[in-house]
Amino acid sequence: MSSLEMLSLLELARGGPIPAVGTDAQSLPTRNFLRPSIRRLAALGQRSVLLIALIAAWEAAPRFGLIDPVFLPPFSEVIAAGWHLAQTGELYDDVSASLLRALSGFLISVALIVPLGLAIGWYARLGDLLNQFIEICRNTAPLALLPVFILLLGIGELSKITMVIYSCAWPLLLNTIAAVKQVDPLLIKSARTMGASPQQLFRKVILPAALPTIFVGIRLASASAMLVLVASEMVGAKAGLGYLIINSQYSFLIPQMYFGILGITAIGLTFNSILLAFERRFMRWKEPATA
Amino acid sequence: MTSVKIGFEHVRKEFSVRGEGGGKARRFVALEDITLDVRPGEFLALVGPSGCGKSTLLDLLGGLATPTSGRILLDGRPIEGPARDRGIVFQQYALFPWRTAAQNVEFGLDIAGMKRRERRERALHYLELVGLAGFADRYPHELSGGMKQRVAIARSLAYDPEVLLMDEPFAALDAQTRETLQDELTRIWRATGKTILFITHGIDEAVVLGQRVAVMTSRPGRIKHVVEIPPALQSEEEDVRSLPEFGRVRHEVWSLLREEVLKAQQQAAAAGAGRGARVLEDVAHV
Repeated sequence: MSSLEMLSLLELARGGPIPAVGTDAQSLPTRNFLRPSIRRLAALGQRSVLLIALIAAWEAAPRFGLIDPVFLPPFSEVIAAGWHLAQTGELYDDVSASLLRALSGFLISVALIVPLGLAIGWYARLGDLLNQFIEICRNTAPLALLPVFILLLGIGELSKITMVIYSCAWPLLLNTIAAVKQVDPLLIKSARTMGASPQQLFRKVILPAALPTIFVGIRLASASAMLVLVASEMVGAKAGLGYLIINSQYSFLIPQMYFGILGITAIGLTFNSILLAFERRFMRWKEPATA
Repeated sequence: MTSVKIGFEHVRKEFSVRGEGGGKARRFVALEDITLDVRPGEFLALVGPSGCGKSTLLDLLGGLATPTSGRILLDGRPIEGPARDRGIVFQQYALFPWRTAAQNVEFGLDIAGMKRRERRERALHYLELVGLAGFADRYPHELSGGMKQRVAIARSLAYDPEVLLMDEPFAALDAQTRETLQDELTRIWRATGKTILFITHGIDEAVVLGQRVAVMTSRPGRIKHVVEIPPALQSEEEDVRSLPEFGRVRHEVWSLLREEVLKAQQQAAAAGAGRGARVLEDVAHV
């Protein structure tokens, strides 16, 4: 997962919309237009080599009897099972149930926690007051609390969304607090000498300077949301990808189970690339992290 | 009264420093009895050994700190907090990385509530003044060190302060860029008529730029002597560094400074095994 992220970050760094300011960029428009697209295609092929090999191995190993096909069915069978699920409409129900829970929990968490983190980072005294409480909650694994949430909030949507909110909260909170605290004091000093009021300082210096680190928290939170959601759907649910996986395993519909796992991966990747696109949009000013 | 732009009157600044190993707090005098007048439109360079409290002086002047005793007057009125009548240029540029060059220059105007179009126009004008006409839409990370410092200078000039305070602005630049920017700054000073207080540890720089050079003592910082720079060294056309007069004045400043530098080094050594010295240094630079 992390190496995949690295790859896409590198790609971002190279293939990002860097404004063409150089002189050759203007004098050779056609060459400039063609070159990167060819290069990008080649790069895509090169990067996908491992993935293609993996899928090929997955397809071949059960077929040649290297692995028991009952436990690891060939890739094509997994896809066929998924196609069947899609046709019966069951897939749509599971995916939409999972997405709804993950998205609503994640968005509620961002909307609540980011402002809270900004306040804690900004007002040192509030931070001192809450620090111990935050440390205790953060070190209580969300999954350990799953039975508690189910006891208190029942087995329905409420407990699952609350789980997602809770698990998103800590990476968001800690990164937002750190983001505010890490703002370069020189920038604050500089803005103050130009007569910025505390509100202006916050809006025009602290917030933009903190944004990149807040985004790190947002991306960590999105990964955490999926993790916790799948686990809670496995424990008690009538729909959702976690339910699909565990239920398929109980019913010994192994290809279907693998398709559920692939579905989780696909959702995770989509979330991540949407967040990356946002990040790219809002942080065009950032120095590209070139190797 | 009108012949004094900035007046330092017996300014003293103390800090409390925690002793080594978290011991008792003790008083630490950064500046002592600073008395100095800066004339309107003057370019005054301030040199001193490292850790002599130059930057503390600038913080006081910028309104970011208040003197323990004594006062600082700007146009006869005591300084109360930061305001746009003083522009500060820092050694590390302090540009906002999420703003383009023009947006950085606009910052002070934005704070002041100026309309978008008007401040953009003003920003472009000042970028042109510092020789960055084509770079308005570049982000700081796309600019060289010298260009960043030009943007910082433009930003401080844009809100039209009475005085420009510069804290070793060219110290982080390479020698060639530094000399170019020194010439540029002299040109800008002549064009705008600002009062400039220029803090540096470079003697050459002080002599080339200043009309007067104030030499500070080692800690606690005091004004040791103010050297008048002869008019011959303020020529616009000639390369003043090549004049014999330059060597003479440079030597005069260096003689004043030398014993202070030695004293500062002894103090640093006496302050203990490196660690204590660093603490003091840090405090002095806050």
